[in-house]
Amino acid sequence: MNKNKVYYFVKNNQIGMALLLSLLIFVVTIALNPKSLNVNAFGSILSLMSMLTIAAAGQTLVIIADGIDMSVGATMSMAAIVTVGILRGREDPMLFVIAILAAIGVGAIIGLCNGLGAVKAGLPPMVVTLYISNVVNRLQYVMTGGTPEFTSVSLIYKSFMTERLFQVFPVISFFALGMYALIFWLMNRTRYGQQIFLIGNNNRAAQLTGIRTTRLKVINYMMAGILSGIAGFIGAGNSGYIKCGAFDGMTIDTIVAVVIGGTLLAGGKGSYAGTAAGALLLIVLSNGLAVLSVSPSMKNLIMGVILIILLGVYNRAKPVRA
Amino acid sequence: MNQKINQIKRSPAFSGMILFFLFLIVYFGVQYLQAPESFWSIKTYRNFMSLFKSFSPLILVTMGQAFLMLMGIIDISIGMQMSFANVLAAMLPEILGLPTPVAWLIALLATILLAVLNGVIVSCLRIPPLLAGFAMIYVIKGINLLIAPKPGGKVPAIANQVFDSMLFGFIPFSLILLAVMYGIWLYLEKTPLIKAVYAIGGNERNAYATGIHTTAIKIKIYALAGFFTGLAGLCYTAAYTTGNPITGEIYGLQSISACILGGISLAGGWGNMASAVYGVGFQILVQTTVPKVFTMISKATGVNYNTYWHNLFSDIIILLGLVVTIFAIRAQRTTFISGLKKQIKGAKADE
Repeated sequence: MNKNKVYYFVKNNQIGMALLLSLLIFVVTIALNPKSLNVNAFGSILSLMSMLTIAAAGQTLVIIADGIDMSVGATMSMAAIVTVGILRGREDPMLFVIAILAAIGVGAIIGLCNGLGAVKAGLPPMVVTLYISNVVNRLQYVMTGGTPEFTSVSLIYKSFMTERLFQVFPVISFFALGMYALIFWLMNRTRYGQQIFLIGNNNRAAQLTGIRTTRLKVINYMMAGILSGIAGFIGAGNSGYIKCGAFDGMTIDTIVAVVIGGTLLAGGKGSYAGTAAGALLLIVLSNGLAVLSVSPSMKNLIMGVILIILLGVYNRAKPVRA
Repeated sequence: MNQKINQIKRSPAFSGMILFFLFLIVYFGVQYLQAPESFWSIKTYRNFMSLFKSFSPLILVTMGQAFLMLMGIIDISIGMQMSFANVLAAMLPEILGLPTPVAWLIALLATILLAVLNGVIVSCLRIPPLLAGFAMIYVIKGINLLIAPKPGGKVPAIANQVFDSMLFGFIPFSLILLAVMYGIWLYLEKTPLIKAVYAIGGNERNAYATGIHTTAIKIKIYALAGFFTGLAGLCYTAAYTTGNPITGEIYGLQSISACILGGISLAGGWGNMASAVYGVGFQILVQTTVPKVFTMISKATGVNYNTYWHNLFSDIIILLGLVVTIFAIRAQRTTFISGLKKQIKGAKADE
């Protein structure tokens, strides 16, 4: 009975499992290197996790609706570069409004292209979004000539983002909380959220119940683009140095966080809380490896193996026989 | 004659062929415009043949990817696997003091083993290939960097000389190698193995129901792709005479887009090796022609465009090519399937 309970928990409660594993890894890290237990470490883990959670918001929406968005990183980099380019180190509040609108606009345009390619034209989402992200990446280099004129936002905005309340909670984690509230409301309290779950579960059934699936999916991609744009705006403040393709690594991280958090790649099942838990696990793991001063190559290796194990436990495809 | 043309039109490689020959014309046209006086000399031929030398790793990797893609599997880590072979071939003589031929053989075998491991992860653990590929990129990159923290290694000059040499003075060695590898496909095409690959690509469940051992076939094909990838790694070693732990990563993506450009369906079960070759040819020609066009424009107008512009335009052309091909393939496939239905059931073609 007890064994069954454990098995049930491991197999079905992925969010709990992710949190448990994070705790375990954190404890192991501290046990191996007691010096790593300090307020600063908590703060940096929170900050990194918040950044990843914010970035993964759009990815969660898209994966739930049975798509995949490989352009998250490129969109964020583009939005960050646009933000920095508009602010130019100045501190006029009006400019902030323009910058955030521009970031949202950039995200919306890229998201619309993704949506039109992946849904309206019916091309494979992975390939289309990947290539669009490639083009966006090239566009950054063309726009800036390789190195942006301004590489960071004004000190006030930056310190506002990275300021730690009570020395622990970085301001960006409150943005993450706000994002959480927004996505939770969007997914669980609006018709739109319910409809994307249905689309991810069974597109045909959704269509037969009268949902305009194509239009909704395009809007969903656009929404993801907008969220990535906002993430880029926040990231511009959070990160000290913005260059072309600064956030390109985020794409894979967001997918991993979403998948660890129990969202099915096939769509129809998942939650943003899971994504946050997945982000926590990913950050704690990479923090642990950094604290134990594992060489970058070994770090790659360990991350890959752990990823394969997690995927093997949680994201297996159905067998052909069944 | 008419029948022959129809046959070509119905082949999955048709759209890729059109794209390829279109850009072949553009390529030679640009060559002619750049230097009209020396166009009809041996130089043009040499230039064209040197493409085979520098791009044979990419072509071989794409051929390996094509085997997997016909089965409906995408392996994004295939480029990293190529780097794995490259690093082993270059570093083993230095670290263990092995003679070069032995080291190269070990590199080839190790790459096949790695690919088999990848196959086990995808088919036995049933992890979605896309995610498995991403995870494997991490793992292989880690291994590569452990073997060779920075580019280097020992490659005998003779390897490069042989790879560079021209048989009878006009056929490059790499071209012969590619032809032999294509010959392997022509032989395999007739065997039950590739028939099973098409069946799995079409519908895995149905293939299983007809008695095909899908898991075994998948692992075999992974091993085959690993063989192509390993050879690509050796070609890279010979062509660039260095072991580089991470440059191969981009090849994974390029090989996928090349396969799609050539007309292999991403879902599997549609396409052939000719598609892969046309696709990769198109991609290579775009990459080499666009910078030349830009230099011509700069010369004519006096405005300088840096390499970022070249990359942007190559990528946009390739993106457009992808879109066009996928639409063409879909139309072709629907026609094909409705034709089949008509033959089997006697139904109307438009049903």
